[in-house]
Amino acid sequence: MSALANEAGLDLAVETRRPRRRRSRRIRETGLAAIMLAPALVVFCVFVFYPFLKNFDLALYRVPPFPNLPSTYIGFEQIGEVLGSQEFLDSVWTTVLFALLTVPTGIFLGIVLANLAHQKLKGVGIYRTIFSSTVATSVAVASVIFGTLMNPQVGLLPWLGIDPHPPILDNPQYALIGVAVATIWQNLGLSFILMSAGLQAIPEELLEAADVDGASAWSKFRNVTVPLLSPTIFFAVVVGSIFAFQTFGQIDLLTQGGPLRKTNVLTYFIYTELREQKNPGKAAVLAIALFAITMVLTLLQLRFLERRVHYAR
Amino acid sequence: MSRHRTRMIRAALAAVAAVGLAVGALPMSGAGASVRHQSSGAKCPLGALKRAKGPVEITMWHSMPRANEATLQKLTDKFNASQDKVQVTLLNTITYEDTLQKYVAGLSTGDLPDLVQIGDGDTQQMIDTQSVLPAQACVKADHYDLSGHLKRVIDYYTIQKTLWPMPFNVSGPVLYYDKTKFKSAGLDPEQPPATLDAITADSKQIVDRGVAPAGFGLKTEPGNLEQWLAKAGELYVNQGNGRKGRATTSLFDNRTGREVYAWMKDIVDRGLAVTNPDRGGSIYDNLLGIGNGTHVMTIETSASLGTITDVLGSGAYPDIDLGVGPMPGPSGNGGVNVDGAALWIVKKSAPAKQAAAWEFAKFLNTAESQATWAAGTGYVPIVTAAADSPAVQELWARIPGYKVAYDQLLSGPSNLATAGPIIGDYAGVQTAVRESWQRMLSEGTSPRAAAKAGAEAADAAMQEYNARVGG
Amino acid sequence: MTLDAPAVAGTPRAISSTALETRMAGHRGRTWGHVGRYALLSVLAFVVLFPLYITVVNSLLTPEQIASRPPTFFPTNPDWSTYSRAWTNGHFGQYMLNSFVVTTIIVAGQLVTAILAGYAFAFLDFPFKRTLFVAFLATLMVPFEVTIIQNLTTVTNLGLYNTYAGLAVPFLATGFGAFLMRQAFLGVPQDLMDAASLDGYGHWRFMVRVAVPLARPAVAALGVFAFLTAWNQYLWPLLVTKDDEFRTVQIGLKQLRNTSIDQVNVTFAGVVIAVIPLVVLLLVFQKQLVRGLTAGAVKG
Repeated sequence: MSALANEAGLDLAVETRRPRRRRSRRIRETGLAAIMLAPALVVFCVFVFYPFLKNFDLALYRVPPFPNLPSTYIGFEQIGEVLGSQEFLDSVWTTVLFALLTVPTGIFLGIVLANLAHQKLKGVGIYRTIFSSTVATSVAVASVIFGTLMNPQVGLLPWLGIDPHPPILDNPQYALIGVAVATIWQNLGLSFILMSAGLQAIPEELLEAADVDGASAWSKFRNVTVPLLSPTIFFAVVVGSIFAFQTFGQIDLLTQGGPLRKTNVLTYFIYTELREQKNPGKAAVLAIALFAITMVLTLLQLRFLERRVHYAR
Repeated sequence: MSRHRTRMIRAALAAVAAVGLAVGALPMSGAGASVRHQSSGAKCPLGALKRAKGPVEITMWHSMPRANEATLQKLTDKFNASQDKVQVTLLNTITYEDTLQKYVAGLSTGDLPDLVQIGDGDTQQMIDTQSVLPAQACVKADHYDLSGHLKRVIDYYTIQKTLWPMPFNVSGPVLYYDKTKFKSAGLDPEQPPATLDAITADSKQIVDRGVAPAGFGLKTEPGNLEQWLAKAGELYVNQGNGRKGRATTSLFDNRTGREVYAWMKDIVDRGLAVTNPDRGGSIYDNLLGIGNGTHVMTIETSASLGTITDVLGSGAYPDIDLGVGPMPGPSGNGGVNVDGAALWIVKKSAPAKQAAAWEFAKFLNTAESQATWAAGTGYVPIVTAAADSPAVQELWARIPGYKVAYDQLLSGPSNLATAGPIIGDYAGVQTAVRESWQRMLSEGTSPRAAAKAGAEAADAAMQEYNARVGG
Repeated sequence: MTLDAPAVAGTPRAISSTALETRMAGHRGRTWGHVGRYALLSVLAFVVLFPLYITVVNSLLTPEQIASRPPTFFPTNPDWSTYSRAWTNGHFGQYMLNSFVVTTIIVAGQLVTAILAGYAFAFLDFPFKRTLFVAFLATLMVPFEVTIIQNLTTVTNLGLYNTYAGLAVPFLATGFGAFLMRQAFLGVPQDLMDAASLDGYGHWRFMVRVAVPLARPAVAALGVFAFLTAWNQYLWPLLVTKDDEFRTVQIGLKQLRNTSIDQVNVTFAGVVIAVIPLVVLLLVFQKQLVRGLTAGAVKG
């Protein structure tokens, strides 16, 4: 937790601004704090903490598809059934694969674009605006655009020669890649903005010193830019992974978890169990699994990746 | 934050979770009485409508698109204007799937219609919700005569002598094809293929003569497998096609089924057919493909004919001369099932509203309404008097394609196979079949293995549903 | 091999020949490099912009033109009716209104809760402060899917199914907002606070008169960010609405796509309509957006 706090720029030591306080003031401030924190806390308790805990309860029941029929308590049997099922394991793998496809690529492209646009060229502002433009697109927008681009009847990709049989989004081998491409494009703007901000934080003198020392562009990039960009990259990896694991809209709009469940990421699996199968019990088990996997991954990243981050301070 | 604090918080969370689990450990038991028998006590509250003062307002949920929705609205307006006891408002809930989901969600939120159009496959689920008034009750109370209806339609929706919903829009699978391209390929445009092998042969001729890149648009529509088995006179699932008791195993992994699988693999592998999805944004690629010339034939529901006629009539795809033929397939002592949807009266509504819903459903089943409906949409007129009406006869003379689906439903015997399967987890079985086809077509599984795997997955889905429903 | 420091003014130290040669080579390469860089940037900009470009173009073509091969890349005969069709058939008027209403509620809610909570964390002292702050941050960790099942039931039980309130209520507060405002408030200089307390300012007055105005950039950033995420929401509106009356633009897009299968141009017109508000927002609030999205990512 404290590692995350550090990365977040949190300085927990300097948390209050009043050096001296008397007890009565503290008590008054506590009351005031209670009032100020209450709105957010109420929202969190009702819509985050309570549902999160309720999941553990729901996961223990075999719930019928319709409310008139009774729920049977079957305890850990359901959890074991679901977590051991091939469909679940496949879904976890699909989710991980999707994250692997989109997160590194997105960051890499963001760095490349940011680096290229971080030059003192005339009119570079236009390019910067263009590169950030996809931040105005939503998941629905990107999905509809790319879904049509990949459609074998009216799409341009088949005309360009990218025309596998079956077509990309119906093709068990390529469907996930198709969805990933739409996602990467949609996230490009955000990635670009993030990396640009990171680049701007690198002191000019360091880059110039590298130039003076005769460093080639590649060497400068590798030994100066990337290490100094590493806090930003680290942030992008951690946050990017969390969001990649929560991908939903693109799957719903493009492939509906198919073909052959090759794009059945955990979030979509949860959704179909909830809506089509009307099985909240099983959906709850999956939701808990999703949370656990996200947490473990984040903690692993914090533990092992943060070591390689070069903090300027 | 200090380690101690972290540990404290973790402990607190664990404690709360433990309490939650403990509370959850209290078992909840319930009645497991067989759902099927609860229909016998249902009563149709006709009296409540008679006693009602002022018009009774009811809502009907439907999933009719475009041309079909316009016709339905016309009929509704006519009904509303013709009497002052009942006023109907329509709500478009987009697809059959969405409608069922909304309905089930409504069972919890209380947000329900009075009359709802549900797709034919979800019949068992609607029964299992225990929230509907069987039409049979009203048929009995109102002395309604069902003999003027098409037998196959009534047979589909009647289970253990109870007619559950009132039928309304019935369609069937037909073969759409481009007569112009048939001629160019040297095929007789009035003799579309009648068997699966004929599809392959005709496709080969089309491709060999360079008329189109492929002959057939193979939509991976699992409903087609049901129809092919029904045409062969065979049951799809056990327990008398799910009509004598809850179906627990599938029966399509037999000679006919394997022949179908083998045919599919063959025609695709030889490049004579392209595959099209049956869900999502590209759901009508098989029809669009005929328009765009990527293939020449496809199997699709007759319900699309109204919209297709509109689209062609507006000048799009001017080179197409659309032909409609009966669904090709295996032959045997059987016939095509009904597709489409039916109207369910919701028991949770006030009695007057239930009776009002019955009145509207009856109206939609009159010869006149069915004639208007069939002429405006391409759905089959389910009442023989409607089929004989001038409006429908004129339509059939003008565009013979509209008659194909009707004739299909009249041909063949009335038995459990032609009545069609009743399955609890209908969608689950469809998924099993669809995935087995996809595996076969894209991963090279053998047809035998694919059919077996499909059957096993279908069985698992059916049994899981049955366990959850407690039957 | 070294040369003595030659004529380059202000550089007393020796420059190695390799460095000098590299520099001279760099000068020559720089002109070529210039053109090359513009070319590269242009190519990349084209690739990034192409999907949006083709969307706008296709929204003005007829379905036959869209399906024709080779494809049409510029609408010589633009069909503007697609936009009015998307607007009416796609019920975009209603959906835009719904999205605006819900987004406004969410943005207002997030700003209020974030300012209040951020202020408390920055200026007040109270027990369990660290714990509560970590709890706030922890909400960022819980993926939305984990909570939807129960949230749907809760919202339904509160009678908020298919209402503006139901669409907005789970998102009225975020840990991100509280964190951002806390950081911003921590930047208020000590002397301002001392002066204010000398003048007898209570907390509320201080917050409204001093802290919030000073933290205006962060407030703007949070507002823009909240707008963006609320406008683009997909899963929750899908679950919590059942008809046109409350459907939002994103779900409307899905619907339009499904009902306009033979009229792809209309679907694309709908996409353009959906994107325009955000494009406007992006152009006007570019700076704030950047700041909002990068808070916490960059040190310093």
